[in-house]
Order: sequence, then structure tokens, then C-alpha cells
Amino acid sequence: MRKKLVFILVGLMAVGLMLSGAVLSVNAQQNFPKVKEFRIERSIPPEAVACIECHKASNPGIFDDWARSRHASASITCLDCHLAQPGDTDVAKAHEKYYSQKDLPYGEQKYKVPIAAIVTPKDCSRCHPDEAIQYSKSKHANTLEIIWKLDPWLNKGMNSDNERKTGCFNCHGTVIKHDKNGIVDHATWPNVGVGRLNVDGSKGSCTSCHTRHRFSVAEARMPEACDQCHLGPDHPQIEIYNESKHGTMYHAYKDEYNFNAAPGTWTPGTDYRAPTCAACHMSGSGKVMGTHDVTERISWETQAPLTVRPQDFKPFPAGTDWKVEREKMKNVCRACHGDSWINDFYNGFDKVVEDYNEIYFKPAKAKFDELYEKGLLDKTKFFDERLEVEFYELWHHEGRRARMGTMMMAPDYTWWHGFYECKMHFANFMEEANHLIETGEKAYVAKDFPNATGDTQKPPKIFGNK
Amino acid sequence: MKKYIILASLVLLGVIIAFPLFSMTYYTMVRTSTPDFCATCHEIKPAVRAWRSSTHVNNAQGFVADCMDCHLPAPHKTFDFFFAKTYHGAKDVVKHFLIKEYDRKKNREAAYESFDNAQCQKCHRNLLAMPGKRGAMLAHRSVIYARPGYEKKCVDCHYDLVHSETMFIMYKQYQRLPYQAKGLRKL
Repeated sequence: MRKKLVFILVGLMAVGLMLSGAVLSVNAQQNFPKVKEFRIERSIPPEAVACIECHKASNPGIFDDWARSRHASASITCLDCHLAQPGDTDVAKAHEKYYSQKDLPYGEQKYKVPIAAIVTPKDCSRCHPDEAIQYSKSKHANTLEIIWKLDPWLNKGMNSDNERKTGCFNCHGTVIKHDKNGIVDHATWPNVGVGRLNVDGSKGSCTSCHTRHRFSVAEARMPEACDQCHLGPDHPQIEIYNESKHGTMYHAYKDEYNFNAAPGTWTPGTDYRAPTCAACHMSGSGKVMGTHDVTERISWETQAPLTVRPQDFKPFPAGTDWKVEREKMKNVCRACHGDSWINDFYNGFDKVVEDYNEIYFKPAKAKFDELYEKGLLDKTKFFDERLEVEFYELWHHEGRRARMGTMMMAPDYTWWHGFYECKMHFANFMEEANHLIETGEKAYVAKDFPNATGDTQKPPKIFGNK
Repeated sequence: MKKYIILASLVLLGVIIAFPLFSMTYYTMVRTSTPDFCATCHEIKPAVRAWRSSTHVNNAQGFVADCMDCHLPAPHKTFDFFFAKTYHGAKDVVKHFLIKEYDRKKNREAAYESFDNAQCQKCHRNLLAMPGKRGAMLAHRSVIYARPGYEKKCVDCHYDLVHSETMFIMYKQYQRLPYQAKGLRKL
């Protein structure tokens, strides 16, 4: 009996041992994936380490971008750009509560620093002053002033404030506002428009082209950096580029391009075969120095109603001489083209500009003014009469496509999307205009023009309180 | 022999006249070169008060940059220094009686205009090797080896540094966060 009991006990113990062994071996065999870690062994302030450790968890995308950036290589951390200056009105008050949140890594008061969410060209100028100076002179930086001087959508209030925020201002930029608590006005944010007016008075956003948080020079050298804004019916630069031989060659050979050349060393022939947008408009080439003023090398304002020289562009006269700038652009061409190619190309372009100005724009403008003078068109609003839309599209859509298509060598945009459409629109416009003049009949005014509710006050921060 | 006596007495006479003249000039220069002297004008008092609490006075090195260290040409440029000092001194006295109100904003701008990088670089000489502040290295390179047309002044980015009204004494050694330039003033 006793023997039997010992036997059972020993048996149970053996089974128990076997079971526990099995459990152990299951544990030992399990494959635990290793968490991807990022160690920081750099001389960076502990406050910056706190930013990184916390945002690594909350916004891994931001962190990963930064970690791959050249900023990270140079130990430029969050603080170098986001640290608020004494007296700043845009300090993020809501951010401060995280420093007393014990469950967060580094959620301690000793790491507390004043942070501004929006980084401006002025912040960037601390390390990149020349680029910021050049950019500040460009039409990019001053585009809000320009559109508020010219644009009937804004000045006549023909679209809504949110159509502007999500449409127009997405590229052109908003006028950033903060309330007393440092909370950004939701009607002005998020925004990385090229002409954003920041609270420190600086204009634009470097992250329009060098996107956060990589701030890559390579990215800005690619035409894709420009195509968020430079596309569509009114200025199809990216479509034009893609149609041009420059674009064709870029797409065929871009895997051979050295987009990562150090700033100021990107060289035609060596680093790239055919130019991108940046190569002609910004990068140094031959004797021409690079610039962040994208509008510097332009010799005609092909986006204006009447094509003028940049120094004669009334809303924002460029501080340049078009002859000097054309010579600069020709110098850029010379990396790959001979003089007769370049000069004959420009002859064709100048002729297109002259034709557009004299044959299409001026007669249409004269007729348009006559209609207003005779009271056949109503001046109170714009776009609510069909002739206003037709005149607008003549210069703002196909008129631009014809000129820009020529300048950047896309024959389809010069002709089918350009002058062909100009001809049709011009003929229809004239027919209807003459009909009104002959009969004295007033144009139909659209009474049900939708969502024309936008603010018509020019931004006081740009134009003063007038 | 007689000739030497005449010569020696002439030299002696020269010394007797020149020594007090030089030493008095020197003494005057020293007396009028202190911040305390600058603060005797009520227009300048707030500037001196702000300067006293700035990092140009309060730092771990115990170094103090006086008014004239920044606002006048270096004393080793003797002629420039004497001329500028005398001119400004005389002008300030005349203006004191002629001008009703001292325009601080305007004068601050005028001071920024008058600054020469050489004045800052008398003390701040090692500006290119800053491994902990590579952004500053980059920016300083663009000033010291400026691209033509892009010459910049130190005060274009480093402004409101000394004469800013603060509630506290700004001890440099106790500032928790690294100092940053503010970016281009005119942007």
C-alpha cells in the first residue's frame, strides 16, 4: 500500500516535471521580435533628448524623417528650430502640460522649454542667412501681396474663406494668427504656403519645397517638389515640363542623377543630364551663382494679364534688370546648348509674347473696357457675367498656357492647350461682346452665384489698416 | 657744448609742456571711457542699466565688455578712436540741448548701422570651429567668407542682446538653454 502511494507520488512529480519542462521549452523557443531602437550618444541638450524620446513615440513619422536628415547628422535637433525666443507670441501653451505628465518618458518639469510649433524662414535664417535673404526677394515670398493686389476672387469676395484656406492659400500661404494662449487660428493653419505671413513678420515657409522633417536638398531639386502648386489649367508647369524634352530625359535618366550633391555644387553634365525646375531657376551653373529667389532669372512675366518685364510688374516690381537676368538664364542653357539654339529659341519665345500681347490680349482688353464703359457689363462683381469669365480664362488659363508652354518647350501646351483655345475663346468673346454693343443689351448677371462669401478686406498685416 | 645744452633744455621744455598735456588727455580719456560716465546722461541711463544685467557683464569668465568696447573703434586704431570718441562726445552734448525727446528706436537702429564686425571680433575671434553648434558654424562661415553682395553684420542676427529690459540679471553661466541667434533682424 505504502509502496503504491510512493509510486503514485513519484509518478505525479515526474508528470509535473515533464509538464513544466514542456512549458519552459515553449517559452525558450518563442521568437520575440526586437524593438527597433534609436540611441543618442551625442552632445545635445537634455531638453532636446526629451523632445526626441517623447515624439519618437507620439509621432514616429516626424522622428524617423529627422533621424534620416542631414540635420540629425549635424546634431541639429528639435530645439534649434522650435525653441521659442523671449517675447514670442506663438509659444505653444498647451504643449507645456506634457512636462508634468508622469506617464510620459521625460515628462518632467526639468525638461520644460518654450516651444513654437511653426518654424519660419526667420528661424531658418539663423543658420542659412543667404538663402533666407534671397528667398525674401522672390515672388514666392511675396505672393500674398501680389494676389491681393490683382485677384478678383479675393477682392470681390467671389469664393468662401474655407475655399481659400483649402484651395488658394494652401499654395499661396495664410496670414498666421495666434490667440492669447498661443493657439493658432484654425482658419490659418495647417499651412506651408510659399508666401505664408508668419507672426515674426517673415514670409513663406521653407518646408514648401524642403518638406518636414527631412529638409532634403535632393527633394527640392526634383520637379516633383514644385508640382503640388505648379499644375492645372492656369499654370501647368509640371505638365509642360513633362511634355518637354527636358522632362522626357529626366524621367528616362533620373536614376542616374546625383541629387545629393552638396549645396552649391550640383553641376550639369556631371550630376544631371537634363535640367529640372530647380536646375534652371535656382541652381548655379557656369558663371551663374545659385539663388533661392526662384523668380530671379525670369525675363518676362508670363503669368500676368499683359506680359511685362519683371521690373515693370506693378504689383511687385522685381529689383532686377531683365537683360541681366536673361543673360543669366542663357548662361544656364549654355551648359548643354550652343548660342544659335539658345538665341533662336528666345526669338520664338519673344515673338509668342508679342503675339499674345498685341493680337490676343490688348484687343480683348479694349473690348472688355468698352463694355464696362457703356454699362453693358456690371462692375460690382466679377465672374457673375459670362464675358468676365471668358476674358479671365483668356489670359489666366489658355493665355498663360500658350506663353508658358513656349517658354518651357511643350508644343502641345503652346498650341492645342494654348493658342488654339485662345483663338476659340477670343472669337466667342468678341462675338458676344459685339452683340451686346450693337443691341445695347446688358449682359446676364448670375443672381445665384454660389458661395461668394469671402472676406474682401486686404490683410492689414501686409497692407496696413486702410 | 653750448649747442647740446640748448638742445637738451629744449627737449626738457618739450617734456615739461607735453607730459602734463598728454597725461591729462589720457586721464580725460580714461575718465570718460567708463560706463559710469556714459550713464551721467539721462538719455543713456536705461541702456547702461540694461547692459549691467546682460551677459556681456555677467558670465563665468568674469569678463565685462564696456560701452566703448562695442560702440567705438578699437583703441589701437588710435586716430579713429580719438576722433570718433571726441566727435560723439561733442555731438551728444549739443544734441542733448537741441533735441526734445530721445528716440530710442531710431537710435537703436542707428547704432546697429554703425556697428562694424571688427568691433565684435576684437573679442569674439574664434567663430568657425563650434562642433556643438554646427548651425552657427554654417552661419558664421557665410559672414566671414561672405559671398559678394551678401555681406552681413554680426548684429543682423545677434540683436536685442545687451540692451533689452529684463527682470533678472542674465547670468550666462546659469542659462539653461543654449544661446541662439534670433535670425535676420530685417527679414
